[in-house]
Amino acid sequence: MTVVFAKTLPGRARGALAALVLLFAVQAVPALHADMVTEVRVERVKPPREKLPTLRFLKENKDFIRARFDLLRERLVDRHVDGAPIDPRFLAYQRLLADVMAADDSAAVTAERRERMALLQSITELGALESQLDLLEQLLGDQRTRLAELQADFTGRQQTEMVVLVRGAPAAEVDEISLTISDGATLRVPITAQERASLAEGGVLQIFHGMVEPREQLIEVGIGGAAWTAGAPGFMTLEPARDHLTFLEIDLSPTAPGQGGAGVRATTWLHDAALPTAGG
Amino acid sequence: MNHRLRMLRASVDFAICLAGASLLSVGVVASARAGDHVPFAARTGVDVTAAAAHAWSSDAVLVYVENDESLDTSGSATRWGYLYYSPLLEQSRAYSVRDGAIKVAENLAMKFEAPPVGSNWIDSGAALAIAERKGGLEFRTEHGGTLTTMLLMRGAFQKDDPDQTTWTLIYTAPDAPSLFVVIDAAAGKVRHTWRG
Repeated sequence: MTVVFAKTLPGRARGALAALVLLFAVQAVPALHADMVTEVRVERVKPPREKLPTLRFLKENKDFIRARFDLLRERLVDRHVDGAPIDPRFLAYQRLLADVMAADDSAAVTAERRERMALLQSITELGALESQLDLLEQLLGDQRTRLAELQADFTGRQQTEMVVLVRGAPAAEVDEISLTISDGATLRVPITAQERASLAEGGVLQIFHGMVEPREQLIEVGIGGAAWTAGAPGFMTLEPARDHLTFLEIDLSPTAPGQGGAGVRATTWLHDAALPTAGG
Repeated sequence: MNHRLRMLRASVDFAICLAGASLLSVGVVASARAGDHVPFAARTGVDVTAAAAHAWSSDAVLVYVENDESLDTSGSATRWGYLYYSPLLEQSRAYSVRDGAIKVAENLAMKFEAPPVGSNWIDSGAALAIAERKGGLEFRTEHGGTLTTMLLMRGAFQKDDPDQTTWTLIYTAPDAPSLFVVIDAAAGKVRHTWRG
């Protein structure tokens, strides 16, 4: 049984619920779609990046442009503003709720009738029972459709996000894992004794889950602990797909104190966000 | 008289050919410099940069667009720059897009509290066609000039109506003052031009 821990990272973490989702994702995805898991190259030296100038005119003329903006100070004025139109989906939710209530009523009435019918043995009444079962089936179908609508609204809008997982336990004790995504702030994730034990048993630890820019990202991973050499990070280059959830799994097993972050093995895969059909 | 008319017509035809060749040469130079990268119009890069900007800050708005590489005759470039501003963070972040991917992402060192551009703006190709008709072609023909910069923003170049989102096209020539053409990016009309 794989155990997943979700680390709470201020400002960027998404909560423990994600861990439950990951439990299935981590277990199922690599097993069912092994061909979709890609090995990520881990480098000891930070790879050079192409330096391209951008917005040259703006930078060369910044004083002029800012001076023009200074002339455009906002002033408070009285203005009549019409209300914005309501998102039609919000009105649809009201309808969905009403349908749910109506379905509940119908189900209650149906249940009552069914109890009465259990006492009757005639063929005619059994025919009526069959009709009621058809109705129940129809209600269930409607419910599935409503749930599909809600799912499409709330889970179909996947933004560009990345989840970083850690698995495996090297010979030397790991106290901390550091993660830096494209020159951003470095996340330092302490590893507790319980988590170390879980990793040694085959558990998986989530150390990051957050939105990322859909572009080539340089990811720096470091390993901290009494036996580990400071300043020996590993570098990975990864391009999270736009509007998808990208998983990066770092396997600590192959590394040793002399290698640090550069000795880890890393794989990546895309979470399939395809929605199930209304029919299940 | 007829002979003189024919000569005049031939001269006009020659001038048109010259202008066409000049226009073509701009494109050839731009393409040669672009290497294997494919030129695209400015709006093409908005979606990918908007997704990145919203990952950076949920309130980020597009405030500025500028070509990062040479422009071709259709108003396309192999790389465009996009600037977003976040009122929440009080910071600006620039993205440069090439071949459909973000190649540069950097925070702007200076404070640049610019108003957002409107959502309804003509693309760079349409803006260039308008500018060419309203003095751009003439400038390039007369002065051997080139179109060097196209920028989309709001407020800075349209003092009379700062709410307008405008394209500003800047033509330069070695021995003449530059030509600026400001186009209302929603209406597709030239608002003013000047030399400087």
